[in-house]
Amino acid sequence: MQLERFTYDNKIVRNFGIATLVWGIIGMTVGLLAAMQLFKPAMNLGNQYTTFGRIRPLHTNAVIFAFVGNAIFMGVYYSLQRLLKARMFSDILSKIHFWGWQLIIVSAVITLPLGFTTSHEYAELEWPIDIAITIIWVVFGVNMFGTIIKRRERHLYVAIWFYIATFVTIAVLHIVNSFELPISFMKSYYVYAGVQDALVQWWYGHNAVAFFLTTPYLGMMYYFLPKMAGRPVYSYKLSILHFWSLIFIYIWAGPHHLLYTSLPGWAQSLGVAFSIMLIAPSWGGMINGLLTLRGAWDKVREDVTLKFMVVALTAYGMATFEGPMLSLKQINGVAHFTDWIVAHVHVGALGWNGFLTFGVLYWLIPRIYKTELYSKKLAGFHFWIGTLGILFYAIPMYWAGFTQGLMWKEFTNEGLLKYPNFLATTLQIIPMHVLRSIGGAMYLAGVIVMTYNLAKTMRSAKLVANEPAEAMPLSKEIVDHSAADKAWHRVLERKPMKFMVLSLIIILIGGMVEMMPTFTIQSNVPTIASVKPYSALELQGRDLYIREGCVNCHSQTVRPFRSETERYGEYSKAGEFVYDHPFLWGSKRTGPDLHRIGGKYSDAWHYNHLVDPTSMSPGSIMPPYPWLVNQQLDITTTASKIKAMQTLGVPYAVGYDQKANDDLKIQADQIAAELKQNNIKVKSDREIVAIIAYLQRLGTDIKANKTEIPTN
Amino acid sequence: MFNQIKDLAGGELYLISSLIMFMVFFIIVGIYLLKLNKKHIEVMSELPIKENQSKGYEEN
Repeated sequence: MQLERFTYDNKIVRNFGIATLVWGIIGMTVGLLAAMQLFKPAMNLGNQYTTFGRIRPLHTNAVIFAFVGNAIFMGVYYSLQRLLKARMFSDILSKIHFWGWQLIIVSAVITLPLGFTTSHEYAELEWPIDIAITIIWVVFGVNMFGTIIKRRERHLYVAIWFYIATFVTIAVLHIVNSFELPISFMKSYYVYAGVQDALVQWWYGHNAVAFFLTTPYLGMMYYFLPKMAGRPVYSYKLSILHFWSLIFIYIWAGPHHLLYTSLPGWAQSLGVAFSIMLIAPSWGGMINGLLTLRGAWDKVREDVTLKFMVVALTAYGMATFEGPMLSLKQINGVAHFTDWIVAHVHVGALGWNGFLTFGVLYWLIPRIYKTELYSKKLAGFHFWIGTLGILFYAIPMYWAGFTQGLMWKEFTNEGLLKYPNFLATTLQIIPMHVLRSIGGAMYLAGVIVMTYNLAKTMRSAKLVANEPAEAMPLSKEIVDHSAADKAWHRVLERKPMKFMVLSLIIILIGGMVEMMPTFTIQSNVPTIASVKPYSALELQGRDLYIREGCVNCHSQTVRPFRSETERYGEYSKAGEFVYDHPFLWGSKRTGPDLHRIGGKYSDAWHYNHLVDPTSMSPGSIMPPYPWLVNQQLDITTTASKIKAMQTLGVPYAVGYDQKANDDLKIQADQIAAELKQNNIKVKSDREIVAIIAYLQRLGTDIKANKTEIPTN
Repeated sequence: MFNQIKDLAGGELYLISSLIMFMVFFIIVGIYLLKLNKKHIEVMSELPIKENQSKGYEEN
């Protein structure tokens, strides 16, 4: 056989690298703006496109899918080619992948501030963009598997297993969590409702963390860390165990996001049990990474890329220990809905994803330019300001989380809530939010310094766009020299498609065990006779609630704690959400829970509160929503919305879609008349009337028939 | 701590069968790991740092 000469495509790696830098700065800047809005409402900038509810999803999408996403593709395209001794399968597919992904991000940047959102966290993009994501993801998959098929290295290194698992699982997660019924170009309803929708969303949400923020990064760790340290991974056996147990266990852990909600108890317990088990593979991976540096710690002192890797692995270890702890019900009862979760997420995002990305960028960019890094001093500065930034971010957030979580639960000796006014607990932690912003600004400053440093590096030399390499082609026939060569896993390492199918089966087990019973067994979601579908006006109001991103700050699920039933009212039941497409339980209480808000205040209170929150709650950090008074409610969509709901099984009377707007107007007139009695003159066709109708309906159904409330 | 996964009011079946599934899977991976060829492990772990192809092992 003849030695084959070929080239590695470095241009696509460079392009993804630049995209990582650009989107990193944008995503983090938006995050900093959102952080400042939480102590200075004026930072909402007085218009509807930049309120916290709309830009918080922009921040999360930008850092997860734009910053981390591009970094994944950079790392995969660099390491895959070298591990397989082959150029990427198709340059054209690489280009389509790159530009398609950037276009998807741009569409997110445009549509999220405009209020086009599905409200599912980290899956907010509407259905046309979901389809685009699917197509581009398939392009990535074809390009990756095409490269694997034309490889010159028989066995697939463990990093590639992680990439394959990432590809297949993200595809499954994205498709299952995007079953939406479109009602117009940029609006759809989820096929699932209430508890089932919540289970699907958090199965997705948790595993987006697992298979977008973790497995591809572990693959990169297993490739780049040995490269940087100049020595093989500590234990290859451990990496195999790490891989299989991690992908098996991770997929089950989603329900820990829904503890104490109306999700069936057995599903919550499964989530808890598997979350605790998750410590083992996670720490196995972290230890494997850190021990790779055994005997090479002197290098860590001098090599800034290794410094970033060590902090990244340490942050991974901390976050993956804390995650299981947070899934214990006793801890979750205090931590959930508070800033503790924000701190936890950011230890992972800033420490693990951010620092590993920086380490890889500092290592990789000079190599594909065949030059030295412009300034090691600046890189060292970045390391320290970034590390301090993480500390300044996380510690105040932990403090804020403990403080607020305990304040919510504190009772006086007389048995009354010590802080009955939710706002008092918000104001208590404002200084922590100021400190958090400083931490975030420090971290962002480090990223800007890195961008300057890398830009200077790139300008000082020429990109080796096509890096020459040579290798022997694979022989067509495989000769097994010993019985061990026929071992199933060894064979699997040579059969990538079968490997993918096996990974797929492994990740499907957990999801199916949890979802099938919740979807098919009636007793898991007991119905409540008094729960009726929303009126047409309430349905429109609900969609405005979704558009404004209210769910980013207000939960809609009262947990069965005395501290919550005292504060909010009766705890939430599964049967109350059966018409909620999508569910709006939320995951963070920057403001109070709203599930029992209906009937608690007058229409006039809501009107004044929405126009100027501080007029009703002095010191409130909620932004004002004056445009709800100026904007006319679009009722041309009512019929299609009712029809879509009917398709999804919501029992509106046949033909109601044609009459719905008549009912809508009657209800709107009633609310306008009620407001007029309180000297508030507003036309009944304004958006604010619909949102008030929705808020006044929330959680009121079971009040109508208290004797028959099921206890789940 | 363990009460929350002990008392499941009829949901034990889900938990026990899931844990058994994992145990079986874990044991299979464990057996496979024990049977792994040392030379293969060495070659595989050196894949990222060796510029040349892993010919040495296949020609054994």
